[in-house]
Amino acid sequence: MDRLIKLELSRLNVHLPEKRMTLREALSSSKPEVMTRNGGKHALNREELEFLAGLLPEKNWNELQLPILIAFEPKFGKSAARISGKAGAYVVSKILDKEEAEELLIYRPEVAILRKKLPTTTQYVFIG
Amino acid sequence: MATALTISPTRMELIKLKRRVSLAQRGHDLLREKMDALVMEFFDVLKKVQGSRTRALERLFRAYRVLSECFATMGTIETVESARETKRELQLEISSRHVMGITVPVIEDPKVERNALARGYSLYTTSSLLDETSKEFEQALKLLVKHAELEASAFAIGKELEKTKRRVNALEYILIPKLQETIKFISMRLDEMERENFTRLKRIKAILEERR
Repeated sequence: MDRLIKLELSRLNVHLPEKRMTLREALSSSKPEVMTRNGGKHALNREELEFLAGLLPEKNWNELQLPILIAFEPKFGKSAARISGKAGAYVVSKILDKEEAEELLIYRPEVAILRKKLPTTTQYVFIG
Repeated sequence: MATALTISPTRMELIKLKRRVSLAQRGHDLLREKMDALVMEFFDVLKKVQGSRTRALERLFRAYRVLSECFATMGTIETVESARETKRELQLEISSRHVMGITVPVIEDPKVERNALARGYSLYTTSSLLDETSKEFEQALKLLVKHAELEASAFAIGKELEKTKRRVNALEYILIPKLQETIKFISMRLDEMERENFTRLKRIKAILEERR
């Protein structure tokens, strides 16, 4: 049973990208996609990329790593998620109309709004 | 009430069990987070599926109405024959996106609509209603392709949600209570053994003092 739980925990984050790509790289790519840890491909929607490009000043396009990670950690309590990275937090704060911060803590209804607006350029990550 | 596991009541087992409970609790917390996120995704997709189904059905309804008009104007046999003359191979570009380990298909906007000349039937012998019918069906097909993508996503997310829910419930209602019950049993047993030892020692001491 313990092995099963460990296996389940190890499988929680297999959808995460091996290597993230910057917004500039994604915009210049003809088929923007990232490889996931389980060998799959995760395509990034061009409309979302253009939406993000509109929110972020061009000089910062290299700083925004995609997909933006929405991290769930039990230590933050239930239904709270963290957005790390200055550019990522900036973009999310713009979308959710929140105060800018280096690291952003958002809650379930805000996660739902964010996911609705950016279904391919955001990913969940579960930190135990 | 959960029954305790059959295990020898030793301190080592107690330490092992405490470790197992903390692992199970961590697994439960993370899986619950995943389940909550999946529920959110599922309802979002479901809402989109409902909207897309309504739009596709409305478009199909309109297309069939125009088709009936076309049958009435051109005649059924002529319409069917003209339809047979058209050739179509729809190329779809399908990529994928991942939602918490679930591979969800993404179909790039299909180029379904084409002009009357590209459809292949004779423009000389057919009515303009056939063009309108074709156009309506092409638009309906576009909506149906989008609907298929959403429905496939909903199925995949629903399936994963069911699996995750079963695991969360198994941890919450079976494994964790069972482990906690066992920990309680071992703690009680160890306390009992300590009390027995204490009484035994006191008794031995009393016997020794009596002998002196």
